[in-house]
Amino acid sequence: MLSFLYARQSGLDDPVRLRRAESTRRVLSLELNHNRDVDRIHGNGINTLDIEVIDGRYMLSGGSDGVIVIYDLENNSKKPQYTCKAICTVGRSSRHVHKFSVETVQWYPHDTGMFVSSSFDKTMKVWDTETLKPAEEFQFDGNVYCHHMSPVARKHSLVAVGTKDPKVQLCDLKSGSRIHILQGHRGEILSVRWSPRYDHILATASTDSRVHIWDVRRASGSLFTLDQHNGDKSKTSSEAVNTAHNGRVNGLCFTADGLHLLTTGTDDRMRLWNSATGENTLVNYGKVVNESRKGLKFTVSRGCSPEFVFVPCGSSVAVYGLHSGELITMLRGHYNNVDCCEFHPDYQELYSGGKDCNILAWVPVLRQPDIEDEETNSKRVKHCLYLYRSAGLD
Amino acid sequence: MNRKRALIADTFCLTKRRRCAADSVTGESQADIRSSLQYLVTLFSRKLFNDSLPPVVLKHQLYSLHNDKTSVDKQVNELRETGELLMFQLGFDSEAFALVFAEDFRAKVLQGEAGRGTLGTVEKFLAKLIPSCSDLSFNKEKMLKEFLFTDSEITQLVKSGVLTVRDAGSWWLSIPNSGKFIKYFIKGRKAVLGMVKKSKYGEILQTELEGRRTTSQVKFQMKYHIHDIIGAELVECIQTTSGTLLRYVDGNVN
Repeated sequence: MLSFLYARQSGLDDPVRLRRAESTRRVLSLELNHNRDVDRIHGNGINTLDIEVIDGRYMLSGGSDGVIVIYDLENNSKKPQYTCKAICTVGRSSRHVHKFSVETVQWYPHDTGMFVSSSFDKTMKVWDTETLKPAEEFQFDGNVYCHHMSPVARKHSLVAVGTKDPKVQLCDLKSGSRIHILQGHRGEILSVRWSPRYDHILATASTDSRVHIWDVRRASGSLFTLDQHNGDKSKTSSEAVNTAHNGRVNGLCFTADGLHLLTTGTDDRMRLWNSATGENTLVNYGKVVNESRKGLKFTVSRGCSPEFVFVPCGSSVAVYGLHSGELITMLRGHYNNVDCCEFHPDYQELYSGGKDCNILAWVPVLRQPDIEDEETNSKRVKHCLYLYRSAGLD
Repeated sequence: MNRKRALIADTFCLTKRRRCAADSVTGESQADIRSSLQYLVTLFSRKLFNDSLPPVVLKHQLYSLHNDKTSVDKQVNELRETGELLMFQLGFDSEAFALVFAEDFRAKVLQGEAGRGTLGTVEKFLAKLIPSCSDLSFNKEKMLKEFLFTDSEITQLVKSGVLTVRDAGSWWLSIPNSGKFIKYFIKGRKAVLGMVKKSKYGEILQTELEGRRTTSQVKFQMKYHIHDIIGAELVECIQTTSGTLLRYVDGNVN
């Protein structure tokens, strides 16, 4: 560590290198911390978490009881022991609350004045954070499994919605209308994700085992489908040709730079794809247990080298190296299935929520000072204070 | 915990370790896989099939011997490209692939075909297959146009067991007489998993399992099956102070 600091100071190394090394060290030492807690508001399982991008201060959570809660993650109490308080809730008593379970919540990518939630009551609501009332409500024909707004879009404000219907719908927030339908899937859409690199690239995953990549500016069909065998038709039975997984594809996540896409499927596999060509990079993560009937929400770290994938596996969160495929560790702490996890890039913390109604915060372990160092330090401090006081420099 | 500490140390001592490690890794790895394959081949019981089958190793058995699955996959593909190794889709699991050394395969197939009328066609097929082609299945177009086989020759190949039907107009590459192997293998795997499951707490030390008497259902060597269940992640491997512990994983289809 000292060598890194010296190298940065003298200009031998790029400043990014120290930052990346320290971020990686922090992610590798993630642990449950008894000083950090999150308020327990939900009465039923937690389906989705989202941390806002601008400050990284507020977190949204959506539960199976239809309740939406906003938490303040910042510690202003000057004490190490801190509980992330729930600032406001859209509870069961509110007139506008969702009738059934909330499947996805997402902050508006450009400020925290607005957030969007979608639920099994076949609606998607756009909420005003100040008044906690929906500014807009979109009705659909089937259960809404997921929705996503592009984090980089400046020219459009489209929300991609995946429902029970095989057609992916694009809703426009500016005009409030449903302007675009993407046809191509043959089963329910379990997950949709915009690319964090280009504002027109969208990936969708469905129960028909296929993942389509779309360019929303084009009127014709998808750009390409992800094929797990990379076009080698000989490797598999003829029904499974051109599929991304041998089962339902229920999780999608782009890496932070948008160059790679991760998919998980009910065939207990996770695959890493090159998002520009659709090629399967054939990184073998082994068996990634996946029994989720709806979408699985997992996340990738940001700012580390090598990057890590955090996947909920049963009642723990598995941490894999992104490009090496090896299992680094399993974060155990939940009492029941984990449904979602979210990475806080500024503090390298992981928040995970599950069916046990708890949101757990995994915090990097701080370096403990050595006992001898503490003693000599305190002696030194006392000595300095004595010297100051005696010299009249209080 | 140990892996994490090693990784943390790695992050902060990047350059020195990388330079020394990089040279030794690539040279050793190819030889590693080949030696692991040869070790697994010795575990295969030839006498069981009256010497009519070449020694078959499953790809996921290699995962139990090496940590990095991605590099194992890469090296297996390299060996297949050079024509040293052949891979077959076994049919009972879409992810279970069998690996056979090319010379063994050729020797056994020709030995089985000796004296039969189909010998010539099979020889021609093997000659086309072994050095260059690394496909697992073939469709009609490929057989007729690229390999220049006639329909009757294709029928002869299916009869001899080198091709099995995949669906109308396409065939899997297969090992002749492998039906018995698959049957014994599945039975043995189920029996060994049952042994682990029935132990107290559903877990057993690997050394103890190796020492147990095998039932009549288990025809292969115990070690062969143990590598299989570890590699296919049907049991969880836990390092303890008394050795490796195998714990049965719930939710197995088997």
